[in-house]
Amino acid sequence: MGSEAVEEKSLEAFKKLLLQPEKDRIRQIENRLNDPMIRAKETGLFLPEAISFSVLNGNRLSRVIQPVIDASLKESVRNNPKSIADAIFPALGPGIRKAISATVMGMVQSLNQLLNHSFSFQGMKWRFEAFRTGRQFAEIVLLHTLVYKVEQIFLIHNESGIVLDHVTAKDVVIQDPDLVSGMLTAIQDFVKDSFDARDDLETLRIGSDRSVWIEKGEHALIAAVIRGNPPVDLRIRFRELLEEIHIKSGMALEKFEGDASSFSVFREQLKDELGFQERKEKQKLSPLLICLILAVLSLAGIWGYHTLRSHQIWNAYLSRLKAEKGLVILSVQKEKGVYQVFGLRDPMAHDPDALIQPEEKFRIKIKGHWTPFYSLDPELILPRSRQILKPPPSITLDLSQGILLASGQASRDWIDIFQKTAPTIPGVKGYSDQGVLDMDREKLDAALKEISEIKLYFENNSTRFIKAQEDIFNKLLETVQNIQELQIKAKIQVQIMILGHTDSSGTEKWNQRLSRDRAEMVFNHLIVHGINPYFLTISGIGTKIPLKEETGAEERQYNRAVSFKVFHIPLT
Amino acid sequence: MIKKKICMLGAFAVGKTSLVQRYVHSIFSEKYHTTVGVRIEKTQVRANDADVDLIIWDLHGEDDFQHVRLSYLKGSSGCIYVADGTREKTLLTALNLKEIAENTLGEIPCVLVINKLDLKDQWEIDQSILDDMKRKGMMIFQTSAKTGEEVQQAFQLLTQKMMEK
Repeated sequence: MGSEAVEEKSLEAFKKLLLQPEKDRIRQIENRLNDPMIRAKETGLFLPEAISFSVLNGNRLSRVIQPVIDASLKESVRNNPKSIADAIFPALGPGIRKAISATVMGMVQSLNQLLNHSFSFQGMKWRFEAFRTGRQFAEIVLLHTLVYKVEQIFLIHNESGIVLDHVTAKDVVIQDPDLVSGMLTAIQDFVKDSFDARDDLETLRIGSDRSVWIEKGEHALIAAVIRGNPPVDLRIRFRELLEEIHIKSGMALEKFEGDASSFSVFREQLKDELGFQERKEKQKLSPLLICLILAVLSLAGIWGYHTLRSHQIWNAYLSRLKAEKGLVILSVQKEKGVYQVFGLRDPMAHDPDALIQPEEKFRIKIKGHWTPFYSLDPELILPRSRQILKPPPSITLDLSQGILLASGQASRDWIDIFQKTAPTIPGVKGYSDQGVLDMDREKLDAALKEISEIKLYFENNSTRFIKAQEDIFNKLLETVQNIQELQIKAKIQVQIMILGHTDSSGTEKWNQRLSRDRAEMVFNHLIVHGINPYFLTISGIGTKIPLKEETGAEERQYNRAVSFKVFHIPLT
Repeated sequence: MIKKKICMLGAFAVGKTSLVQRYVHSIFSEKYHTTVGVRIEKTQVRANDADVDLIIWDLHGEDDFQHVRLSYLKGSSGCIYVADGTREKTLLTALNLKEIAENTLGEIPCVLVINKLDLKDQWEIDQSILDDMKRKGMMIFQTSAKTGEEVQQAFQLLTQKMMEK
């Protein structure tokens, strides 16, 4: 028995020796398996690897875990909203800022346009349209004023920068879209790297008129080249389109290997964006502007017609002036709407102002500056001579090769004036008055002839006039008076000699005396009637120059008379 | 039409641009290299019965490869590394660039082009090193700007590899 027990004991000891380490390990494992703390600690160590394996095998994990995350997120927000707010703040901030800036930009844009259009005629029209359609005025303004054109749209794979699709508007010159797209992607990366920017490049501005709008999605982006002034909500439309592309072709985008053919299904939608944006309004001219233009045009027309007409009138006037004798145009100019002419004017020339027609004076203002001068034009010499010489109607003036010819009858006075003045008249080289009859001289000669025929008869041996000789005496007086006047006019000095005659009866001495008495008798008579005595001389010639041969008593009576003889006295 | 983005990397002055000039077209000037650090080029290659547009991101080469913008690499389907046979250091740079690119992109098809074959007598790179690399599966082309044929083959092979992947 003892040995059995010993055997048992040693077996036990052997077993213990042999199996104890395994037993201990099994106990340890049991402990690990039973102790949730230890298991949790261990799971924590493997969890990241476990999750990454799970992700590799598909996204079951995310589906499974989603309700838990949702619930815990809700719980967390309920219990500790601040920490959640703190956590999402960095993400929320830029998002909110972006939204606000977009809104503010939109507001500024509309405000700008509202201000621009509120007070115009167009503005009134749009207000009416807003009232009629029940839409907001701002909306109407936007509708009418945004003039822009989306020229190109690129759909680009974010990662590789490869063009998935590219559409262009008509008549737009483009570069190779693959290269442009690649460079655009490179530039985005460049900007992001260079400026350590968290946000993506959203807009490239090219001059004042063109910009590239980039709207980025998870796997693809839309880049649109836009000319003009696009509204901010265009970006929202791009975003919506991009979202749609991601929803429909998310997988293809994610696993994109370079075959872009499947994205052509979005081409029409991209094209719609092009077409839809081409809302370039035709610039209609406002009626006010048309009126203004018409007014300006008609004013210009009137002005043009007026100018043309004035010019025509002016030219016609100038040609009339040039044709006119005695007017010489030196220069013309137009100053402050007044046509001015400078020149020389002969006093005999027509009045230049009279050459402007009365109706023309309404259209054109003409001012002449004329300096007097003598024109040597033959046509003017004659009138000038007439004006200066003032010939009596009985005189005719003529001009022949510069020689002024006078013909007709004129007074001595005028003839003197002619002789004195004619050579001094400008243009007159010489003169001739051979054709001029001295009217005073003629009359004087006639009167002298008349007086030489007058006889006054006396009674026999007496100084008494025989009867009925009053008429003869009156005639004598008249003639003497006439001669007295004419000799002054004709500038010929004459003296009238009163010759007393007797018949042959009686002594010579007696007859001599008687004849003188008779002459004296007439002399006295004339003086009494106002004749200047210096103008008269008396002489008794008795029977020396009988008036008639005494053949009978009747003839004797003829010699009892007084006759008259005229003497020319040379002028001193 | 299949389009593939590939990157062309290499140390400074290994002659990348002159090497490909005959086979690519671009609307951008050389200036982009020094400003933005990349110049986009394009060429068409026919591989596996399909025309493939290669959009080549010709990255500005720098000896200090830290300056290559990694963000330009993303989305590439393949890479061309260029080294200058007359400067051994550029091979090192190319291999370093390869490592950096693969860190960013994972393993993608690539080819190594050793340039300036016309100056073969001045080469610093030992043929044995290249043979060794070939054995490890690296596709290597030796070329010069004058006999640029190999470049086209490099594009061709790279495209095939990309299409097979």
